[in-house]
Amino acid sequence: MTTSDTRRDYLQNQKSSGRKLLGVFPAQFPRELLWAFNILPVEIWDPPVEIAQANAHLQPYICSIVRGGLELILQGKSSLVDGYLFPHTCDSLQNLASIVNDHLDTGKPCFFFYHPKAVDGQPAREFYRNQLTQLIDRLEQHFGSINIERLQECIQTSRRLYSQLNELFNLRKQGLLQITNSDFYATLRRSEFLWPTDYISELELLLTQKCVKPLPSRAVVLSGILPNPPEILSLLDQHKIRIAADDLLNGQRRMTFLPTNANDPLEAITDAYFAQPPCSTKDSAIAERLKHLQKLTVDSKSKGVIFNIIKFCEPELFDLPQLRAGLRSTGIPSLVIETEINQVLSGQIVTRLEAFLEMIGD
Amino acid sequence: MPNDYFAGIDVGSLSTEAVIVDSNKHLLSYSIVNTGINSSAAAEEALSEALQKAELPRNRIAKIIATGYGRAAVGAAHKRMTEITCHAAGAQQLFPEVRTVIDIGGQDSKVIHIGQDGQLVDFAMNDKCAAGTGRFLEIMAKRLEVKLEKLGDLALLAEKAVSISNTCTVFAESEVVSLVAQNHPIDEIIRGLHVAIVNRIWNQVQTVGVHGQVALTGGVALNRGVVNLLEEKLEQTLEIYSEPQIVGALGAAILASK
Repeated sequence: MTTSDTRRDYLQNQKSSGRKLLGVFPAQFPRELLWAFNILPVEIWDPPVEIAQANAHLQPYICSIVRGGLELILQGKSSLVDGYLFPHTCDSLQNLASIVNDHLDTGKPCFFFYHPKAVDGQPAREFYRNQLTQLIDRLEQHFGSINIERLQECIQTSRRLYSQLNELFNLRKQGLLQITNSDFYATLRRSEFLWPTDYISELELLLTQKCVKPLPSRAVVLSGILPNPPEILSLLDQHKIRIAADDLLNGQRRMTFLPTNANDPLEAITDAYFAQPPCSTKDSAIAERLKHLQKLTVDSKSKGVIFNIIKFCEPELFDLPQLRAGLRSTGIPSLVIETEINQVLSGQIVTRLEAFLEMIGD
Repeated sequence: MPNDYFAGIDVGSLSTEAVIVDSNKHLLSYSIVNTGINSSAAAEEALSEALQKAELPRNRIAKIIATGYGRAAVGAAHKRMTEITCHAAGAQQLFPEVRTVIDIGGQDSKVIHIGQDGQLVDFAMNDKCAAGTGRFLEIMAKRLEVKLEKLGDLALLAEKAVSISNTCTVFAESEVVSLVAQNHPIDEIIRGLHVAIVNRIWNQVQTVGVHGQVALTGGVALNRGVVNLLEEKLEQTLEIYSEPQIVGALGAAILASK
């Protein structure tokens, strides 16, 4: 499998090889469990579909991730998958889960994963473990029994995968990876549909792009849900700006914490979830998020933070005023842009981004 | 002959301005032309007119910086910079004490916080829609059959403002049609529209904060109604250049001279 293979061809091949496919909505889910069932999670973040039918089911103030996901199902373009998994990320995704499960006759099973929001204390850990067990029970009803030894192997694979991702993020932070923002995030996002061993091969290839001397570029932190639309990345590339660290829900917020070596596999997975950085979709305290963003900025020697907010993303929007004020008080400039996931950048957004880059200087 | 003059060209949605300065940053000439549908041609026309007024041949211009939404279309430019940075530089040149710039142009509006040396500290800009921009007033003037340049004066004459609940230009236009049908006095509707635009700008001002003296730039600074209402909100007198549309182009020329 090469990087030029299309997503659909790849999924078709996976299916032909006997694997089951599960359409997974954003963002936090125990992928090791699915792998152990020989299920390939296919994440649904920003399907390239024109929204038409979904508007009949959703209010106009629902974000384009939810809208696009529903449209994909309504247009019958998710026929390859054997079911859907809905993590409890936000109210809008929760409503989507209800619409698909209760009102659409997709003929495919729907699974739910209610990961805890308040992630401090033992009760939250117990709740999380309980949700893992419930998910296993539900998956077993459709896909047969889980093999614990196989799960242990998947956890080791996961550890390898996340170790490599960590190394790559670290190299990016230091400017030691000879790759553009566009190419880096395109590779990162292939984790959303590749089988882990295939993905590890791609990461190994990427690690060969390591250079000895830091590349000359100014650095910023990118915060938000997705690095979309991709024109943001190419604009930053054009201005020789490196995203040295990110606080993206589908980036470093969830992709850098590997399961531990705990003997109990569910404990190992739980450890990874509870080690993750603060996140708006987990109701993390704003003070924690601020501290995390300040640390990312300082550690990566970044000159500022760009908040790329998907329109109507309530969890992100709630935190913004205080995060910006907090950053400002410590001399870290920030910019907020609101975008739709599949729309080109407007002239105003380009001007805002370029003005911010002029503001942070050389 | 040395080529020691510098030009700034600001290609806006409604008008394009060119400014020429000398190496001491003194303004020699400026021009204002309609942008029309060809940004590139408008930039060329504005530059030629400014050169003519300054009695300078083209080859005396050492550097040109283009700004504004059509900056990418200016083929003659040596560099392109955003209108946010250029308005900050222009305002700093004209009013060294100013630390906050409110620019209301044809297509967008922005609030800029500038530092002591004219550097950008923070800014806010309107979203895609035309609410809070010159276009909003232009469309409403047309709908009410009032000349754009008379709009501000009429707003000042009104004893009260009719409340306009929509800030979206399209919805506000429908609302105005309804208000006219209900026989509300035109000047009160116009004042209501000015209150709506100023409230919209005020949201942006609050995002950035009011720092020191405030300058108003862009074509809407010629509207006395907007100026008056903004000054009431700010509780201070705005600094306004006699040709507020050229501040962005002036800033571009100043930056070209550095």
